[in-house]
Amino acid sequence: MAVFLPTGLIVKAQRKNVENRPIDADVNGIKLALGEINARGGVLGKKVELVIEDGQCKPANTVNAAEKLTQRDKVVALIGAFCSSATAAIMPVAQSAKVPLVTGVSSAANLTEKGNTWFFRATETDALLAKSFARILVNQLKLKKVAYIGVNDDFGRGGVEEFEKQMSALGATTVLKEYFEHGTSDYYTLLTKLKASGADGAFVAAETQDGSTLVKQKAELGLSTKVFGVGSWATADFMQLAGPAANGIYAAVPYASTMKTPKNEAFVKAYQDQYKAAPGKYSAAGYNTLNIVVDAIARAQSTDPDKVREALLKTDYEGPNGHFRFDEKGQATGFTVVLVQLENGVPVVVESNTVEK
Amino acid sequence: MDLFLQLVANGLVLGAFYALSALGLTLVFGLMRVVNFAHGELYVIGGLFGWALTAVFGWNYFLALVVVVIVLGILGYLIDQILIARVRGQGEEPTILLTIGLSIFIANTALLIVGTTPVTVASPFASKPLILGPVVITQARLLLVVICAVLIAAANLLIQKTTLGRAMRATFQDPMAAQLVGIRTPRIYGFTFALGATLAGAAGMLLGSIYVVEASTGGIISLKAFVVVILGGMGSFAGAVAGGLILGLTEALWGGYVSTGYVDAIGFALVIVTLLVRPYGLFSRRAERA
Repeated sequence: MAVFLPTGLIVKAQRKNVENRPIDADVNGIKLALGEINARGGVLGKKVELVIEDGQCKPANTVNAAEKLTQRDKVVALIGAFCSSATAAIMPVAQSAKVPLVTGVSSAANLTEKGNTWFFRATETDALLAKSFARILVNQLKLKKVAYIGVNDDFGRGGVEEFEKQMSALGATTVLKEYFEHGTSDYYTLLTKLKASGADGAFVAAETQDGSTLVKQKAELGLSTKVFGVGSWATADFMQLAGPAANGIYAAVPYASTMKTPKNEAFVKAYQDQYKAAPGKYSAAGYNTLNIVVDAIARAQSTDPDKVREALLKTDYEGPNGHFRFDEKGQATGFTVVLVQLENGVPVVVESNTVEK
Repeated sequence: MDLFLQLVANGLVLGAFYALSALGLTLVFGLMRVVNFAHGELYVIGGLFGWALTAVFGWNYFLALVVVVIVLGILGYLIDQILIARVRGQGEEPTILLTIGLSIFIANTALLIVGTTPVTVASPFASKPLILGPVVITQARLLLVVICAVLIAAANLLIQKTTLGRAMRATFQDPMAAQLVGIRTPRIYGFTFALGATLAGAAGMLLGSIYVVEASTGGIISLKAFVVVILGGMGSFAGAVAGGLILGLTEALWGGYVSTGYVDAIGFALVIVTLLVRPYGLFSRRAERA
C-alpha cells in the first residue's frame, strides 16, 4: 500500500467581485513540481499527495477549507491561500493546528508582520518591489508627474502607497491618486481624469481583467501616457486579453518566463512540454512553494510539524527565479525580481534585482 | 470645459449601456414581477456564447447574435415553464430563492466549462479613437449606442402595439381576467421570460465585444440592472432608459470630480433616495394592481 504525505493546497476557482487571478497557472506549477518530486521517489520514501480545496478568495470559505485540510486530511503543510485577505484569515488556523503555511502569492506586506511563526512567504511584497524599482522607473522613464491608480483593496492601496512613497522621495510629483472597484468594466471616467492630470507616467496596481480592460480603453481614448505597474501584467492571459494595447507596458514582477538562469530555462521547457504555454508568475509561485515545503520535510527527516517548521527557517532553495531564504518573520529574501517591458506578447527583462533584507 | 464634455459623453454612453443591460429585467421584474436574480447570469451566458461562436468558431458577428438571441429565447422559455411555473402565485420569496439558486447553478456551470479567464467577443467594429471636437469616443461605442436605441424602441413597440404585448400587459395586470377573455396566460408568462432572457443575452454579447465577459460577473450586472429598473420605474422602457442615463451620468460626474473609488455606491444611494421620495420610480404612473 502506498503511503502518501498529504499536502494541503488552497486555491481559488471562483471570483465574486474579489480578485481575478487564474487558478490554473498556480495549480499547474505545483503539479509540475509534484510530478518531478514523485518521479524521483517522493520524500522520506513516500509519495507526495496534493489535496486541493477551493477557498474562492473569500476569507470564510478559505477558513473552512483550511479546517478541513488540517482536521480531516491531516496535511503536513498548507500552501496558500491566493488572495492576501484569505491568507490572513487562515494564518490563525495554521497556528492553532500547528501546520506550517507557505504562500507563494499573497503579497500584502503586513502578513509577515503579524508574528505568526507558522507562516512563510516565498514571494515579494509590494514594498520590496517598490524599493527595487522606483529609481529605475523614475530615471529611465524620465518621470516627473506621476498618476497612481489602484484597485480598491489591500493589494491595490498597498501598492499605490509604497510606490508613491518611493517615487516621491526621488522627486516625482503626484498628480493623481485614484482607486477603482474590482470588476469595473468602464474606465473612461478614470482615464479622462488621467488625461486631464497631464501625468507623464501612470502607476497601476491591477489584476488581469481590470488591468487589461483599463489599458485597452486607454488605447481607445488615444492616450499615450506610459503605464507601469504591479499585478498580473506579465501573464499570458493579460497579454492575450489586452492585445496590442499591452505593448510598452512596464511591469514589476517576481518572475518572468524570459529570465536567463539555467534553472529557469529547464523550468520553462518542462512547463511548456506539459502545458503548451509559457509559465507566468503564479506558475513559478506554485512550483517554488511545493519544492520549498518538500525540501524542508526532506531536511527535517520527519513530518513532525515542529521539525518541518525549523527546517523551513533554514531553507536555502534555488528556484527558477533565484535563491529563497526565510528571515525570522518568515519573509523570503535572496530571490530575483524583474522589471519587464511587454513587447508583442513577450515580457522582455529590462532590469533585475535581488531582493535583500 | 473639455473635461466636463468628455465626462458627460462618457456618462451618456455608459448610461445607454446600463439601460441595455437592464432591458431584460425591466420586462421580467418590472412587468412580470419576477425578482430575477439570475438576470446577470443570462447576460453572462449571452456573452460567453457570443464569444464561443465568434472567437472560437470564427462565425460572423451578426449571425452569432441571431443564434444567441434564439438560444436564449428557448432557454428563457424553458426556465419559465419548467422552473418558475412551479412557484408562480406563491408570492415573491420562493421565486427569489429559485432565481438565486439558478444564478449559482449557471455561474458554476459556466465556470466549469469556460473557466475563470475573462474573454472578449470578436467584433467587426473598430475601437480606434474617433475625435469629435473635444470629445473622444470609438466607432464601436457609437454603434452600440445606436443598436441599444433600436432594441429599446423595438421592445417598447412590441409591448405597446402588438397583440402579444397587449396580452402580456393584460396578464400581468390581472391574470384571472386575462384568462377569462381567452389569453393563454401560461404561454404569455413563458414568452415574457423568454423575451427578457433574449434581451439579457443580446446585451451580454453586444457589451462583451467592448468590455470583457467572465463567468462570475453576473452578480454585479444583476445589481446594477435592479438599480436601473427601480430608478426608472417598474416595467417602463422609457424609465429604464432614463434610469440608465441617470446612473451613468452620476457615476461619470462623481468619478470625474470627486473620486472613482466608491463609485458603485452611487447607484445604491440613488435607489435609496428614490425609494424614499418616489417609491414607484421616477417615470412610472402610479397604478393599483389587482
